[in-house]
Order: sequence, then C-alpha cells, then structure tokens
Amino acid sequence: MDHLAELAGKDALSRRYFMEMTAKLTLGLSVGVPFLPRTFQAQGGAKAKNLIYIYLAGGMTHLDTFDPKKNRSVMADTEMIDTNVDNMKFGMHLKELSKQADKLAVINSMMSTNGAHEQGEYIMRTGYEKRATIVHPTIGPWAQTLLGKRGDILPDSVLIGQSTSNAGFMDPSYSPLPIADPGGGVPNTSLIVEGERFERRMEMAQKLGQQFVDKFKYTGPKSYVEYYHQANRLLKSDALTAFDISGESNRAEYGENRLGQGCLLARKLVESGVRVVEVVSGGWDMHLDVSGGTASRIPELDVAVSTLLKDLESRGLLESTLVAIGTEFGRTPDININSGRDHYPAAYSCVLAGGGIKGGTVYGETDGAGKKVKANPVKPEDFLATIGYGLGLNLEETVYSPTQRPFTFADKGQPVTALFA
Amino acid sequence: MNPRIPLFSLGLLLAVTGPCLTPTLEARTWTSNDGKPLQAIFLGIEGGNFKFRLQNGNQISVPKDRFIKADQEAAERLARIGDDSFTKASARQIDTALAVTLKKNGYNSFNEPLPDDLFVRRVYLDIIGRIPTREEFLAFAENARPDKREALIDELLLSPGFSSNLFNYFADMFRLHGSDFDNGIRMDPYVNWWREQLEANVPYHEIVSAMLTAKGNVGQNPASGFLLRDTGMEFDAFANFGQVMLGIDISCAQCHDHPFDEWTQGDFYEMAAFFGNTQRSLGYRPASGMMGGGKIEMPNAPAGWRDAFNSWAVSSKGIVLEGNQDNQFKFFVAALGWNITDNEALETVLPHDFIGQGGKPNEVAKPRTLIGEAAKLGGKTRREAISDWLKSPANPRFALVIANRMWGRAFGRAILEPVNDFSDDEIKRASQPEVLKYIESEMRRVNYDLREFMRILYNTRAYQSIASLEEPDLTKAYYFSGPVLRRMRAEQAWDSMMVLAHGADIDKKTGGDGSFYKKILDIDFNTASNDEVWRHYEMWQNLRGGQAAMAMVSESGDDYSPVIMNDTNLRASQLPQPAPAASMLDTFGQSDRRITDDHNYDGSVPQVLALMNGAVTQQLTGVSSKIVSDLDALDGPDDKVRGVFSTLLNRFPSKDELDLGIGMIEDFGEEGISDLAWALMNSPEFLFIQ
Repeated sequence: MDHLAELAGKDALSRRYFMEMTAKLTLGLSVGVPFLPRTFQAQGGAKAKNLIYIYLAGGMTHLDTFDPKKNRSVMADTEMIDTNVDNMKFGMHLKELSKQADKLAVINSMMSTNGAHEQGEYIMRTGYEKRATIVHPTIGPWAQTLLGKRGDILPDSVLIGQSTSNAGFMDPSYSPLPIADPGGGVPNTSLIVEGERFERRMEMAQKLGQQFVDKFKYTGPKSYVEYYHQANRLLKSDALTAFDISGESNRAEYGENRLGQGCLLARKLVESGVRVVEVVSGGWDMHLDVSGGTASRIPELDVAVSTLLKDLESRGLLESTLVAIGTEFGRTPDININSGRDHYPAAYSCVLAGGGIKGGTVYGETDGAGKKVKANPVKPEDFLATIGYGLGLNLEETVYSPTQRPFTFADKGQPVTALFA
Repeated sequence: MNPRIPLFSLGLLLAVTGPCLTPTLEARTWTSNDGKPLQAIFLGIEGGNFKFRLQNGNQISVPKDRFIKADQEAAERLARIGDDSFTKASARQIDTALAVTLKKNGYNSFNEPLPDDLFVRRVYLDIIGRIPTREEFLAFAENARPDKREALIDELLLSPGFSSNLFNYFADMFRLHGSDFDNGIRMDPYVNWWREQLEANVPYHEIVSAMLTAKGNVGQNPASGFLLRDTGMEFDAFANFGQVMLGIDISCAQCHDHPFDEWTQGDFYEMAAFFGNTQRSLGYRPASGMMGGGKIEMPNAPAGWRDAFNSWAVSSKGIVLEGNQDNQFKFFVAALGWNITDNEALETVLPHDFIGQGGKPNEVAKPRTLIGEAAKLGGKTRREAISDWLKSPANPRFALVIANRMWGRAFGRAILEPVNDFSDDEIKRASQPEVLKYIESEMRRVNYDLREFMRILYNTRAYQSIASLEEPDLTKAYYFSGPVLRRMRAEQAWDSMMVLAHGADIDKKTGGDGSFYKKILDIDFNTASNDEVWRHYEMWQNLRGGQAAMAMVSESGDDYSPVIMNDTNLRASQLPQPAPAASMLDTFGQSDRRITDDHNYDGSVPQVLALMNGAVTQQLTGVSSKIVSDLDALDGPDDKVRGVFSTLLNRFPSKDELDLGIGMIEDFGEEGISDLAWALMNSPEFLFIQ
C-alpha cells in the first residue's frame, strides 16, 4: 500500500504543479492556486440523453477555425468571416457552420499542459492525466457505469474511426464497440454456416475453451468470452441495421469522407439507442503547410458537423443530443520554417452544441495573437466535466478500480455551467 | 569463428558481471564415437574438422567423424549461431539471481517446468512469430534427444521467421510507416532497410548509429528515414528519441519543467540541440499566398542545382512550373530534396514562451547531454557525438533500455515498466536490481547481438516455466516465477493464420521492398546529367502513387518499369507498413505507427466477428481447406481429432476433448472436422501464448 500512497502523492503533487504552471501561463505569475472544491452552481444541464463526441486527433488549429484574429501576421492564409451571431467570428473554411453559429457554444480558452499527442489525447478523452499504472475509461464506459446500461443488444457506446478500444479499469463488457470504417459498418456479420450447425459450433467452442479460461485468472481470456457473447447476441438481433448507413439518403450531404460518414453513422446510432458515440478523425497535426492542411480538413469538418446539426434538429434529436468537438491542443500562432504550425497547448478551442447548450455563446478569450488565455481558462478535465454535466452524470460519485483506487468522472474537473441554457 | 568469445576464461565473464553474480562457466561436453568426453569451447568447422578451445587455452582440431551423430549435428548448428557455453552460463546466472529474489519474497521457486507441447508452441510464437505446423509440432514431440529444446531454440533463432518477428516489434517501437508524407514522398526504402538489418542480425547499436548519423535522402541512404520520419516535428522527434533510446519520456519538458523527474525545460532543449543543426528536408514548399516557402539550397547537390534542373526541364521538356499542370514533376523534385544534412547555420533556440529553468526565452541552446558523462564533440558532428555517447560503455541508459525491452519480449513483462519511461529512482527500486544490472552488462558483452541476447533468455529456467496463473498487478513488483500469459500480437495472429493456410514456406516469401522507389531517388547530383535525372522522373511517373511500397526493380536491372507485387498472402512483416485501417492486422491491434509502442492487446467484438465469419476463417476451416485436407491421410476419428488439435493448438486433446471431437466426426463426418477446426480457432486458447 506504500506504493499506492506514493502514487496518490504524486497525483496531488502533479496537480498542484500543473495548476501553478497554468497560472504562470495565463497570468505570467508564479503563484500557488488553492484547490478549488468541486462545487458548482447547477444550471440547465442534464438535458442530454446522448453524446456525439467528435475528436480531432493531432491538434486542431484554433486560429484558422473558431478563434481567428484581426492580426494578419498570425493568420497566414486564413481570412476571418462573420457568422449569424454578432460577436462570433470564424475562419473562412467554416462557411456552413457560420450559418449555424447560433447553435454553438465555442470555448476559446482551452488550456492543457500536455504538448504531446498521446498524453494530450488521453486526458481529452478520459479526463485524467495518463499514468503508467492504470488505464482510465473514456466517456462511454463512465456513462454506462453511472447511468446503467440502456439497451439489451446495442452497445452503450461506439467508437468510430479506430479499430480498438477498451473500458480502462472498468469491466471489458463496457468497452465501446470500435468501428474502424464507418462505411463498412460492423464487418464480418454474415455467418459461414447457419442455423443448428452454427449453434453447434458456438457450443463446442465454448466447451473447448472453458478449461483454458478457468485456468488463467486474467482479464484477457475472460474478455473474449464476453465479446463472443456480445457478438452472438448482435448477430441474432436486427440491431445490426443501426450500423448500416448504405441506405441513408443524405450520405453525400455529410461529405464522402471518413469524418462525414462517421458523423452520419453516429447520428444513426444515437437514433437507434446508443448513448455515447465518439468519432475520431485524424490528420490535424499540421506541422507542414498549414494552408494546405486547413484547406482540406476544415471544409470536411464544416460540412460534416453542420449537416449533423441540421439532421439532428430535423429529427427532433438536437435537444437530447450533446455534440462536442474536442482536440488535444491548438497550434502555434507563429508559422514555422515548413509553413506549418506546431503544437500549442497553452490556448486552443473546443465546441459544444445541442443537448441543452446555450447556442451563440463564446466562452473565454485569448489575446490578440491567440497566444494566451485572457479569461475563464478551461482545462481538459473541465471540458469533460462539462460534457458529463450535460449528460446528467453525477460528478461526485466515486467509482473504485479493481485495485480499490477511487475515481470520479473527469477527475476534479469543474463543469462550465454557464454554457447551458 | 565466433568473435563474441575471445577467451575461454572465467575472468572475463567476472570482469563484466561484477562481484554480485559469480558465473560458473562449463564448456559443452562433446562425446567421441568411443565414448570419451571432451570439454571444450566449439570454435567452428574447418574442412572436415571441428575446432575447439580447451580449458588451458590451447586450440585443437578433431576430424568430425570422430564424434557421435548427435554432436556432429550440434556442431553444424553451433557453427551457424556460435558456441553456447557462455549462453548457458549466462542463463544459469539469471536463474540463480531470480531464484534468490523469489525466495526472499515468499515463493518456493519458479512455476512448474513447461511441458513439451506448450514449449514448442511458445517458442515458435515468441521466436519466429507464428504457431508451428502440425509437422513441426510432431517432429519436436517425437524427438527424444536430451538437447532438443536448445536445438530448437537455435534453429528458430537462425530461421527467417526470427527477423520477421523482431521486425514487427521494432516497426512498432520506431513507428515504421511507408507513406507518411504528402506528395508521394515515401519511406519504403527505410522500412526495407530495417528488414535487411534484422535479417543480417546487425548489432542493435550499429543500427541506431547508422540512423542517427545518416545523410541524404532515402534512396541514397535509407537509414535517413529515421530522422526524416518526423520532419517538421523536430521536438517530437527528440521526445521519441528520449523514449526509445533512453527510456525517458521528456516530452512534457518541451513546454515546462518535468513534474516528477529532475529534467528542466532547459535540459530538454540543450539535449535536443544535438539535433539542432540537423536539417531535415529541403525546406521547399510550393509558393502559395503569403506562406510561400523560402528558397533553400539542396544540400547534397551543387549550388543552384534545383533551379538549374527546373529551368532545363522547362526549356527542354516543356514542363510548366506554375499552376497544377506538372504537379508530378514538382513532387518528384521535392522528393529528391527530402533529405538529411548537417547545416552549421542552424541552432536550437529556446521558445519565446520558455517558462522553465535553465534558460531564457529565445536563447540559443548549446548541446549538452542530460544524463551520464558529457558527450564530447571534439571534431565530430553533433549527431556523431550523440551516437557515440549512446554507445559508450559509460552511458547509463542505452544498453539497459534495449536489454529491458528484450526481456519484456520474452517474459511478457519487462523488469521496468513502461519500457519507454522510467526514472533513475525506479531503476534503483526495481524488483530485480541485480538481474537488471546483469542483463545490461550482458547486452554489452554480446555486443548488442539481439539474437544471442534472446538466446540467453530463452534458455533460462524462468522462461521455460509455465505462465503465471494469476495476472500480475501492474502496480506491484513481479518476480518472474515464469512468463505472464499474453495475447498474440496482431502480427502473430495473422502470421499463424498465414501458416495454417499456406504452410511453413510462408516464412521465406518476401513482399514489396520499395526498391524501385529507392532507385528513383538514388541520384548523385554532383555527376548526374539532366537527361539522367529526367529518366528517373520517367520512372517516377510509372509509380502511380500508393504503389511505391510494392514496386520493385525488375530482374533485368535497366528496365525502367517496376514489377508490382500484388500478393498479400504474406507474413505481416512483408506487407506494406502499417496494414490499412479495418484490415485484420489493424482490427487485432497493430499500431498505426503514430506513437511509439502503441500495439494494442485489447479484445473487441469486431475481432471476434472476424474469427467467426471472416474470409480467413472461411479459407482455413472449410471442408476443402488445407487444415482439413491435410488430415486425409489420418485413419480413424481419434487420429483426426488429434490432428486438428495439434494443427491449431499444438497439443494433444484431453480425454474429454477427444470424446467430444470423435462424437462430432461420427455424427457429421467431414463437416464435423471443419466444425471442430472452427471451434478451436474460436476458443480463446488460440489467441493466447501460455
């Protein structure tokens, strides 16, 4: 137990350290920041039943998207455009979203202390700093734990755009179902043999595997037993149609790319009863030729998200579905030697919409160069806590890992309740 | 013949292992036809004689037919891989030290010794990355020689599967990616260079040194791919360097002082400064808007070469540089200049928002190593200096990191975890400090020969124990009473399916090697005429984008059209790297090579569905499949059931399993065999390494 105590100590130390760093970055001061108790003024919130979390892996440039500046020297090729909300300005590639800015809450004061992708993405998807001794769950398994499983057959959460997933320290059966290619749905669902013969095979496999599974007290083999169970139930249900977007009439409107098709699949899954869908989109790490990168990636994001919002609205799902756009950090205001932008955790932007969010909101602010957060800093765990707040998760509820370490959703993050209507 | 064994001397081994562990070196005993023993170190075969070194240091030569058949065979094997007296002494050393800590922590001894069937499956998977065929399994089961285990380990270490399997490990660690860049710029020659290094068993420190000091493009020098891999992300590249070479994740020190360890932000930049005058790429970017790229000379070409070639192409070949008309030409010229050089004018500058200790914003960082003895520049380039510093016996981390990693490969858990990030304090508090120190010194003694190093580990009693039955807690010390249970890597699962479908010859089958792309870029700009370079451009046009990995130089040599490798029935290491999204390899967790050591061992519903209904399962378990038809020669349902078990799980069935299988065949005939094969592929035992 000494070791655990020490780890706990490390956690506390690091948190204080990072808060000091945050203060230094924000205010140019070196002062200790007292721990903030996790109390907040309840307001709006808890209206969302579902979540679609669009994660832009690599670090979305904040200046070229949701936090453009008048200062041309930091803007490179990107022009600033007006939106349908007076005080909101976007980068020129967000043409379609600019017409729906009244649905969006933009946070321009995101701050992280993680300048590396792995660590940055980890905290943006789990709410916890990456540790070598434990794996923290993503939002899906958390929601299933705190709210209970929603349906019998469909998984509670789905991860689109990645081929593997896990439930962290939670039970493997809580793992989001990974769908690597949204257009392909769940692959390999046509049985090789049908009917009685299939049942015979499954029964035999189960019998022959039992001894091995019992012999080793490891989570690995047991998790496979669970996945066979889940797969078998899925195959026998009609729930698989929820993963098939081939017949959707608005496929082209979402954009014929992975992000667009991923958002369409997410909409269909949420409509069918899946609670949490993460859509991961790569290609945002624009160290080289940021103009080329933004010209190709941002329009895809623009089309996908604006179509998603309209689609959810027309189906009456927007009020019950929280849509979030997250990323691990922003990108440097200075253009580097390769005409690109490098990692910039000191200031970046994330977005929320639907699910009880007060649209047309800009929260937080950076300075004229997009370098420093001037007001209302939001840390990754705060962003996650805000999502949890929107979903009605009890942020105070302690969940214990199998090794009896206590955890709460999004660590000690403070929800930004002001974003809710 | 073996340079690794300079002396038959205890003193030498003592000198490198230090006082904690005292080895007892016993040379192998050789037996003559008339039953006389000879204790000696085997040096090799010369003509019809075996050469030995006796304990007194004298060398002798003995005609080979003076020895019994088993020893003649052993000599043939040892001639290829080296005498194993030191290997075994070292393995015993490790076992002795492990046994002490086991006892001290309340364990009687190691886990039960591994039975033959589990042994053969495990060593095939661990050493050559796939399950054994039924024939290979039976050959071992029926072999009665007392030295059959060490002989099999050696044979496997010498087979092409060894480097194939090791390649998958390094491909993950070094993030080998064939198509990481825009505009058709590819890394396949670098990926293939790794294959070649491992096939030739080049010592690890030499591989690293070649990568760190490489100059040129991947056609001229494929090793340059290591530094080109992170072009535009110099500090990420350095953070990766810290993880893979030193076992330190210093990435956070890029933005602030390290929270737990002693590194300051200044340390980060000072050490990164060893790459501060490394120029990656030409810096050429298409001129567009206000971000137009600056003009930088191509460093491996005469001054003004690119401009001169461009204007020659405009006037002689009608190339249009403006607009999008001749983009392929522009991509070609960009690829030629995508290279590594040392540029003395460049420096590492501390960021303007530097907040840590050890420097001020915008200061130039001077190269300084942050651990161990200082690296000396003394006439060397910065990259040569850091490379020599790593290889130096005084370096406290480099040998330790690779030894600890290789240990993790054998046991499923390293002594220090995670292998890419541990502090000095964690080294001091390691559960096996003596073993750790010993394997570090052994890594140096074998001169970073990874094959010999793994040979030591595979010969330990600790390794040859059954896997621990309980999952060790990551937060607690593990005392290596045996390996831990592991799921196959994605590549092991794929390669096992390949061998089930195609037999053991799959190990020798090679795939695309990027040689055509390499040939295109391999130009000496100082001597090549414009016409010659233009011919390379014509080759480039034959590439058609993504085919570069599979495009190979044709046998005839001067043919400027590539031979395209279309076969994907290959082992994972021979396929383009990495496998595409949603492929079988991807589904089972192959790293996408964005970050280091990113292979994923988690299960999932799509994995299970692939095993249940996927094309490979269909191919493997159908009535006319290789698995089923190979059993045609076997009589009776009981032999057939044993056949299916030994093909898929490499063991014989228990009484209950045999009865179950016989029942299936009696009731359903051939279909029953196919069902049994399907069931075994779909029982979790198939995916795990016990």
